[in-house]
Amino acid sequence: MARSHYMRGYIPIWVCLGFSVALANPSWAVPSFARQTGMACAACHTVFPELTPFGREFKLNGYVLDNIKQITGIDTSARQTLAINSLPPISMNVEISYTRTGEPLPDSAIKGALAKDGDLLFPDQVSFFYAGKIADGLGAFIQLTYDGAGDHFGLDNTDIRYAHHLSFGGANGNNHELILGVTLNNNPTVQDVWNTTPAWGYPFASSGTAPTQITSAKVDSGAGGFGQTVGGLGVYAWLDDHFYVEITNYDSSIPGGAHPLDSTQANVINGLAPYWRVAYEQRWDRNSLEVGAFGLDASAHPGAGTPLQGPTDKYKDAAADVQYQFIGENHFFTFLGNYIHESQTLDASILDGFAANDKNRLNTVKAAGEYYYKRLIGGTVSYFSTRGGSDALLYAPASVAGSANGSPNTNGYILEFDYLPWLNTKLQTQYVGYQKFNGGTTNYDGNGRSASNNNTLYLLVWIAF
Amino acid sequence: MNVNHISVHVIGAAVFALGMAHGADVTDATPAQNAALHKTIETCGTCHGVNGRSVSPTFPNLAAQTAPYIEAQLHAFKDQTRADPDAQAYMWGMASQLSETSISGLAGYFSQQPAPAGRGGNNTLIAQGKQIFVEGVPGQQIPACATCHGAQAQGNGPFPRLAGQHAPYLLRQLLVIQSVLRTAPVMHGVIKDLTKPQMEAVVAYLESI
Repeated sequence: MARSHYMRGYIPIWVCLGFSVALANPSWAVPSFARQTGMACAACHTVFPELTPFGREFKLNGYVLDNIKQITGIDTSARQTLAINSLPPISMNVEISYTRTGEPLPDSAIKGALAKDGDLLFPDQVSFFYAGKIADGLGAFIQLTYDGAGDHFGLDNTDIRYAHHLSFGGANGNNHELILGVTLNNNPTVQDVWNTTPAWGYPFASSGTAPTQITSAKVDSGAGGFGQTVGGLGVYAWLDDHFYVEITNYDSSIPGGAHPLDSTQANVINGLAPYWRVAYEQRWDRNSLEVGAFGLDASAHPGAGTPLQGPTDKYKDAAADVQYQFIGENHFFTFLGNYIHESQTLDASILDGFAANDKNRLNTVKAAGEYYYKRLIGGTVSYFSTRGGSDALLYAPASVAGSANGSPNTNGYILEFDYLPWLNTKLQTQYVGYQKFNGGTTNYDGNGRSASNNNTLYLLVWIAF
Repeated sequence: MNVNHISVHVIGAAVFALGMAHGADVTDATPAQNAALHKTIETCGTCHGVNGRSVSPTFPNLAAQTAPYIEAQLHAFKDQTRADPDAQAYMWGMASQLSETSISGLAGYFSQQPAPAGRGGNNTLIAQGKQIFVEGVPGQQIPACATCHGAQAQGNGPFPRLAGQHAPYLLRQLLVIQSVLRTAPVMHGVIKDLTKPQMEAVVAYLESI
């Protein structure tokens, strides 16, 4: 029912949004880099924000490749003390969206009443970027975002990195090429260069106001994740355009609220949370294939009214990912897949009455196949699934957001159609269909709501300039 | 020692090592110009391979290309007179800040790299392509490619080396030259009547040698 209901309203809504608006959440296309390098978006992106092999190299090299006039300085020993772009690599991202769920959501204040059917966000997000070179070898991707639904302006995805290139002896005159780098970032996997990891994974933009599943793995940027509430320092190596290895340590850095962090904050890391990543990429002709693994070990205090001492909740995430890209003259195809397994030992949550089981697990699968013709039109078909053990307290009943049977199990599909009249303008139509939501298909929340009631039509205009 | 401690030490040691590596560069005795050229070669190598042998056919092999041709193309990218789609997307930016010293240094470096090995393919197509390359197509007034590009397609001064080049790259160049998206005065006349199947044959041959 939800689907046909959406489709009836779809064309007029889209026409109304038409060319007047831009897109959603999170936002990443960065014309700053085009300004700095003098290269078109197509050099680094198949279709933004997905990176090409060259885009990955650009990022791994520290965002420093520049082709504009530099302001430089040296000291008396000829050490370069300054090298900045004569024009700052800044850019802007505007996203305007319309979200409609299968059935309207309950009114947030009046029991039995319903919220407005459909949500126009102008803007969904507006972002400002500094993205590019800071000094020789040092570059940054810094995003400041105004969030329309939250009426909030703050630091979004940020990755500051230094990279150093080394060549050393190999056989037959073919030197080994090694990039060693340091990253300082605020979201686990925001520093990654493949689009299989959560921060830059599919869906690239989705509704921020439609219902979302009750939980996701800590390394995932979704519910309960660490996106933009941590700071991490890491090192990475990239050898011969094949082998990638990284380790980054994170600690909580929660914007606003009590500082130093105290019991009024939630999800506070105890000690440091190490993130690790290994990957192998093979390129041939127009193809590239990446196979990798990543993980996060986090020990966290639930906070939210409980002290930041004593037992902690421990999360061990281990994930495998695979990415295949074909970049042709006219045809572009990508497959993105990942599997995340999370083991939870919830000593603190048990003590504080937030969880019923000491040990829980979560298994997440995401797979997406994309096709674009001439970077002009294309789309994506995606499947997603989260499965885990039931826990009546952790996944408690609540209207829309809760689970009647204490299960986090959610699965569904995403169908997306995109039209890009220009490389920096994407008109996106996305439909998310749920087969199961928070453990059920009908009355999943204990308040009579069905999984399909959360099916979401999301129209988005995404302009980056 | 738990995983937290290990990762802290790994990161600490690596950050320190990177700092040392950076310091070593600063006091390196290599002449500044050579260092700058080396860095530029690394940048070019991102797509073309540091040894001038690229992986993706989007990017041409530069190894053993003639130096005058490389210089001429870098100038054409820099002054934006070579304006085919990939030239605009990639090379206008990349070449915009190159100095004359860099251009001649890059041309010298890549022209000295060992040539890429040929890659076999459809033998029938390759034989057809060889005939076009060596003899031309008299019935269509298409002269032999070898006349300018050399009997082994090794190039000759401003006429580029074609041997061992990626077939999809060569095909794209023939198409953009024929449609005048890329300006190449001599070639416009030579290939104006070359058909796409003939192009596919000749580029298959060139990739194979």
